[in-house]
Amino acid sequence: MLDMLSHSFHLLIFPGGLFALLLGLLLKGFDRKICARLQRRVGPPILQPFYDIIKLSQKETIIPDTANKAMFKFAPVFGFMGMMVAAMLIPVPGVWNGASGLGDMLMLLYLLPIPAIAFMLAGSASSSPYGAIGTSREMVLMFAYEIPLLVVLLTVALKAGGADGSEFSLAQVVAFQHENGSFGFNLSMLPAFIAFLCFIPGTMGVVPFDLPEAEPELLEGPLLEYSGPLLAMFNLMSALKLVVVMGLGVALFFPGTIPGGAVANLAWFIFKCFMLMLVSVTIVRTATGRLRTDQTFKFYLKYPSVLAYVSLGLTLLFK
Amino acid sequence: MSIIDAIKSKAVRSPWLYRINAGSCNGCDVELATTALIPRYDVERLGCKYCGSPKHADIVLITGPVTSMVKEKVLRVYEEIPDPKVTVAVGVCPISGGVFRGSYSVPIMLDDIIPVDVNVPGCPPRPQAILEGVAMALDIWKTRI
Ligand code: SF4
Repeated sequence: MLDMLSHSFHLLIFPGGLFALLLGLLLKGFDRKICARLQRRVGPPILQPFYDIIKLSQKETIIPDTANKAMFKFAPVFGFMGMMVAAMLIPVPGVWNGASGLGDMLMLLYLLPIPAIAFMLAGSASSSPYGAIGTSREMVLMFAYEIPLLVVLLTVALKAGGADGSEFSLAQVVAFQHENGSFGFNLSMLPAFIAFLCFIPGTMGVVPFDLPEAEPELLEGPLLEYSGPLLAMFNLMSALKLVVVMGLGVALFFPGTIPGGAVANLAWFIFKCFMLMLVSVTIVRTATGRLRTDQTFKFYLKYPSVLAYVSLGLTLLFK
Repeated sequence: MSIIDAIKSKAVRSPWLYRINAGSCNGCDVELATTALIPRYDVERLGCKYCGSPKHADIVLITGPVTSMVKEKVLRVYEEIPDPKVTVAVGVCPISGGVFRGSYSVPIMLDDIIPVDVNVPGCPPRPQAILEGVAMALDIWKTRI
């Protein structure tokens, strides 16, 4: 009974649910503001993503005649739910150490592609040609960036396993780093960290890897036919995903804590998420242009994957 | 209740713009792109965003005289925009036909087929005028949401 209650709390309030939603939308607001400032514009208010959600939830929903209606409505809900569960697994070092004994790193590996799958469902259900192209691009992109992610997670698991075996529980990974120093400052883990940094813009679908949505050419691809509350659902999903990916990065590489109790550590966690987003999303998307699909695929196979394998080899050698 | 109303009223801070080219000479469209892209006029500070899909739009900017070839398409795209929406006609073309007035291919004016809320005159209008038009459209939008 108590277990049930604590699980629902983690799913709905903290660290999943409400907390993750608010943090995700806030991070998105900062992302847009900083991007605008880097381009010497005034930029939108920080709370802009909240206004967008409020607006969208009051608009009319139009469903195309030719669309598969059930699937069209199901796709955003599916993606949103998947990310809610994923956000529940993210440990906030010093405040909450993650759901224990779940092998949650493997869970996350399966949960992280859910938004991409939701996009594919949405694109093919909406029966729009732009959605179809977006779907095929999303698929290519997913295969490309999942490889480095898998190898990075394997490397971290091996490293955190110590002298023997491997450790697939995020709580244990964080605990191991508290004892032996953060992986982000470890020379043999540096390539894996860079690989993870390359993985982030791909999975978040931002320039230069925003192939499925590519606004000027595909008119937002799978999202083209969505309007009103269903579109708001997709926005919430990507806000949650931002928190999940940043939280995962913090847990894997920089789970250090500061003295000062839970409140200080919560602020520290938010600050780390923000810095990670600044480096891997905001600056990257402001400074680059979009790559072609084949270039993206080659990029992911050539650099992040190789870097991740280098880390894996080093970890195995110096175990 | 009042808190919910206060939250709901924040919706006016997020108007998304959509452009329809109804046979324009492209002069007005260049001005619209300027308004959007150049840091000096930055429409994003009003919470605006240019969107590629009519389904995401709140304020629709229409340029050009409605030529007979493009009339059906304009109507179709217009109907795909979810309510509530505001229409802004940019340039003198949609108002009177402008330099194309009297042409065999411009038999009707824009407000014969679509209710226009704001007219922004000029050939092409300056970015400041377009921004003012968008600001007026925002005021109208407030009353509709
Ligand atoms: S108003 Fe002038 S600039 Fe604008 S579309 Fe008409 S002719 Fe071109």
